[in-house]
Amino acid sequence: MEFKEVVGRRRSIRYFQSWRSVEREKIQIMLEAARLASCAVNATFLKAIVMIRDNIPRETLDALKTPVSGLTIELAPVHIYTYVDMGAYKGAQARLKKLVDVGALNISHGWSHKFVDEFVWPNILKPLAENPNLASVAASAASDAGIAICQAMLAGVDEGLGVCLTAFQHDAINKLVKAPKDWIPLWVLLVGYPAESWEAGGQRPRPPLEEIFFEGEYGKPFKGDPKVTEQMKAAKMIQAQAPLPWRKEEIKALARMFGLPE
Amino acid sequence: MASINKPLEEYASVKTWYQGLREQSGVEPNEDKSRLELLAEFCATLELDPDEIVAACLLRKEGKETKISIKGRRSMAERITDFQAKGGAEGRERAKRGNAVRSFLIHNGIQLQSGIQI
Repeated sequence: MEFKEVVGRRRSIRYFQSWRSVEREKIQIMLEAARLASCAVNATFLKAIVMIRDNIPRETLDALKTPVSGLTIELAPVHIYTYVDMGAYKGAQARLKKLVDVGALNISHGWSHKFVDEFVWPNILKPLAENPNLASVAASAASDAGIAICQAMLAGVDEGLGVCLTAFQHDAINKLVKAPKDWIPLWVLLVGYPAESWEAGGQRPRPPLEEIFFEGEYGKPFKGDPKVTEQMKAAKMIQAQAPLPWRKEEIKALARMFGLPE
Repeated sequence: MASINKPLEEYASVKTWYQGLREQSGVEPNEDKSRLELLAEFCATLELDPDEIVAACLLRKEGKETKISIKGRRSMAERITDFQAKGGAEGRERAKRGNAVRSFLIHNGIQLQSGIQI
């Protein structure tokens, strides 16, 4: 699938084919997509633990549901529990020097081993590594983790899977997966084949470009070019907005199939 | 114990339910009266009227926003599960018993997730 169409097709899928397992190679592709994501100081802030739903003890499965995510957690055959690793700043000094060695950070941009050792590490990164609870430190780490999760999601869509990022009860799963203490739980990425149509009722209503992006200064909208909008529609990045006319009937049919309230 | 002293359709919570079914679920409640009959049976089991069933899931304190009561909702979810099990129905009919009441509560703002019932 072309990239723009992948972006356009992604939905939060909430009805999965609960009976259909996901090929292991597709999960690997998703994880690789996350691994390759952009990250500050070449630190892989995102850590994740893949769980096959049917291998999670029933008691734990019930305990990790939140009031709004319980059903989707139950339906999805694969759960990827995501964490931000606040210990990932450690080792940044060596990683930055490696980026210098491989030509990613260059003399042309002012980078050298000496700069890393004598300025970047002691003045910037070491204080960050030692103060993971600072809001700014946690926010930037979580931002990087989010980028990686997004790439995994899009890779999943490209593989024909449905994905949904949702909340979970952290304590319940941590007892099972034994995540390190400096891993902060983020979301569970639910994966499976959609039981609903891939359109899932249409693209979700979002504010227009001009309302959320600005040019030059806050309040001056970034104005989109209608011709470009048409190009994105042709590339299936911008698709029909929800609700599609048959959505309520689809939800009724799904509710009846799974025995859910209407 | 509350006595149901008027047709169920006249209770505010039932009106809200019917409106929600029509507007959000695309379902015409009058086409299948069994929903209302099941709610009536549930009311009789709990000895509460429909509005009281909704109220039992809420925490109302003067001067504060109304909240969903965690205990109240959990207790109601258990009672629905019990109600669903009674009546001897199996499969879809069994699920329908519980889901009629769940639907009533959900459309009244009481978020519930029962999981797959079939």
